[in-house]
Amino acid sequence: MRDYLYDGSFEGILTCIYHHYYTDRAAGIYRREDYQPSLLHGYMEVETEEDKATRVYEAIENKISTYSLRSIYRAYLSCDPDKENKILRYVLLGFQKGHQLGSLHGNPAVHDMDVLNKKVGFEQERMLEFVRFEVLDAKAGQQVLYAEIEPDNDVLELAAHHFAERFRHDPLVIRDAGRNKAIVAYEGHWYVTPLGERLAGGGVVTPDGTVMELSQDEIDYQHLWQTYFDNIAIKERINPRCQRNFMPVRYWKHLTEMNRS
Amino acid sequence: MQKLQILADSAKYDVSCSSSGSNRQANGRMGNAHAAGICHSWAADGRCISLLKVLFTNRCVYNCEYCVNKRTNDFPRASFEPDELARLTVEFYRRNYIEGLFLSSAVEVSPDYTAERILECLELLRYKYGFSGYIHAKIIPGVSPEILHRIGLVADRLSVNIEMPTSKSLEAFAPQKKPKQIFAPMRQITNTLIETNSLKGPGTMFKGQQLNSSENYLSGGASTGHAVTAGRAGLPAVPGRGTFAAAGQTTQMIIGAGGETDESILTTSENLYRTFKMKRVYYSAYIPVVNSPILPDKKTAPPLAREHRIYQADWLLRFYGFSVSELFARGDGNLDPDLDPKVTWALRNLDKFPVEVNTASYEELMRIPGIGHKSAMRIIRQRRFAAVRYDELKKMGVVLKRARYFILCCGRYYGNRKFEPETIRNSMLQMESGLQMSMFDSGGNLLAYDSSWQKIEEGERREKLSLAGVI
Ligand code: SF4
Repeated sequence: MRDYLYDGSFEGILTCIYHHYYTDRAAGIYRREDYQPSLLHGYMEVETEEDKATRVYEAIENKISTYSLRSIYRAYLSCDPDKENKILRYVLLGFQKGHQLGSLHGNPAVHDMDVLNKKVGFEQERMLEFVRFEVLDAKAGQQVLYAEIEPDNDVLELAAHHFAERFRHDPLVIRDAGRNKAIVAYEGHWYVTPLGERLAGGGVVTPDGTVMELSQDEIDYQHLWQTYFDNIAIKERINPRCQRNFMPVRYWKHLTEMNRS
Repeated sequence: MQKLQILADSAKYDVSCSSSGSNRQANGRMGNAHAAGICHSWAADGRCISLLKVLFTNRCVYNCEYCVNKRTNDFPRASFEPDELARLTVEFYRRNYIEGLFLSSAVEVSPDYTAERILECLELLRYKYGFSGYIHAKIIPGVSPEILHRIGLVADRLSVNIEMPTSKSLEAFAPQKKPKQIFAPMRQITNTLIETNSLKGPGTMFKGQQLNSSENYLSGGASTGHAVTAGRAGLPAVPGRGTFAAAGQTTQMIIGAGGETDESILTTSENLYRTFKMKRVYYSAYIPVVNSPILPDKKTAPPLAREHRIYQADWLLRFYGFSVSELFARGDGNLDPDLDPKVTWALRNLDKFPVEVNTASYEELMRIPGIGHKSAMRIIRQRRFAAVRYDELKKMGVVLKRARYFILCCGRYYGNRKFEPETIRNSMLQMESGLQMSMFDSGGNLLAYDSSWQKIEEGERREKLSLAGVI
């Protein structure tokens, strides 16, 4: 029995699970850089291997269910410090219980997975709500929608599909400022990319050096939105606590209506 | 900018900002209506902002007693130009500020004059700007069937506000609006939905029944025969759109302006659900915005707690198979302000409890306080494999602090009190007082949301969302 250390990738976790079955039982799975050596057992640094990961991936899909596979992936995207071990316990139980795993809500391992999924799902939904685009002028009259987010969980790609579908004909960029990666979407397709920098005036420089500036009427629309936002509240019902509960302060930085500079 | 200020200001007293029930795929150039109904922001009063909610104009020729826009009220007036509002909606939408437009209006010149301008705006939005986000259009009573039909073709949801629960109070407070003018468009909308095979009905009230059949077709008296043919005559559909108000029909009622009981309010709702099969009735606690000799004076606090209980009861009608007569049997016509209406009902019908969760039918489970659709389904799914144990119920989303008094689990009762209404009621009240504290802040304002959010079961979460006007 030993601890497995992985590189932070989803395939890395799956490779560790492979080793649990074929090398030595896993005491726990930890991200390499966060690991505190244990007194009880040794550890092994696991090299992520595509084919081992694929075997575990397919085994989960075939022997448990696609539903469970999806929950595992979404749990992986969470910021829970113990997510790897929760995933491990869930998968081990899954290989015993098979396809009924997803309905054993009373089981602690399943419950943990439900909780992580709920958290990730909740923040994913929040991103659909809280992303605020600014309209930038790119070259030749083309406009680009640009937004920055800083979610707790790594939900950028979970939000991508929604926006790619919704604004099919406006190219758009959403950047996760904390993780320094972005999605770029156009005509329903999207991909992940590292993305350039923000300029002081609100413009953006792309990795290839192109500068996009805020479009002319951008500031006007932001003001209109702020005006609308201020006016829609009924003063007899003012309730800042309720507002903060729905819209936690940590998201305000990127909300046009809450961040007045 | 000032125009937006004025017209948003006038619109804000509407409760509904629902955009649920429509799942429009992106077939225009921009947009899709997301099924869950997204709130983009929360205003300082804690209400969700999902739609750009404005009045097309607040220049009103009517004089409804309870309304800020009534003719005799002296305050700033404005109207949008059709293209101006269409453009504003699109620019807000692409910045992800809103899900769509909730357009209501005062009556400028005449119902048809205003409705035509609204129609022009909505058609520009759909066809010139290729917008396929959500549109909820309020229909002004008295509008002609042809215009109503065309508005329905570009809108996702239509609503005609009933405003008052009885025709007597309508007569007293909104003398220019006649019940006939309200029911004619409601009937036309329902009939057109039947014709386009898209009548869905409220919640699970008509589950398993074929709604889109000729028996449900509403025929009116001679005066409304016109309205019925409007849909059937097959007015030329606007090119590229086959749907008519796919997200159905809703209405809104004001709570606490007239002297009605909760029972008469909910009876009206039940009738609206049964007759027009509308998706929802929204309730709006009356906020005294005008001085009037026949309305509560300006210092009266809006009856938010009452609105909350009515929403809960409405929920029981639509999703839990309750009827109004059951809810109010052996009562005084008003809901118990201190307890959830489902709990009140259970206490009055203790002979039906306790219920064994391992054998109860879905319908029986749904009637247990603290159990909702999701937890009932989980119980049913799990007990196929193994009996459900008491300590698992919580993880399945059952709110035990309520349910424990009404259930048996594997033959055992966990209520640890005497099984009689008064005892249970008292212990629940003690416990609820903690909950109430978190739901109302010190000023008695509804928080609609507390930090235990994620712990509450789905049904309750939905109730709270609906309370916040989200769904
Ligand atoms: S018609 Fe509408 S806007 Fe006009 S006074 Fe009546 S409620 Fe107010």
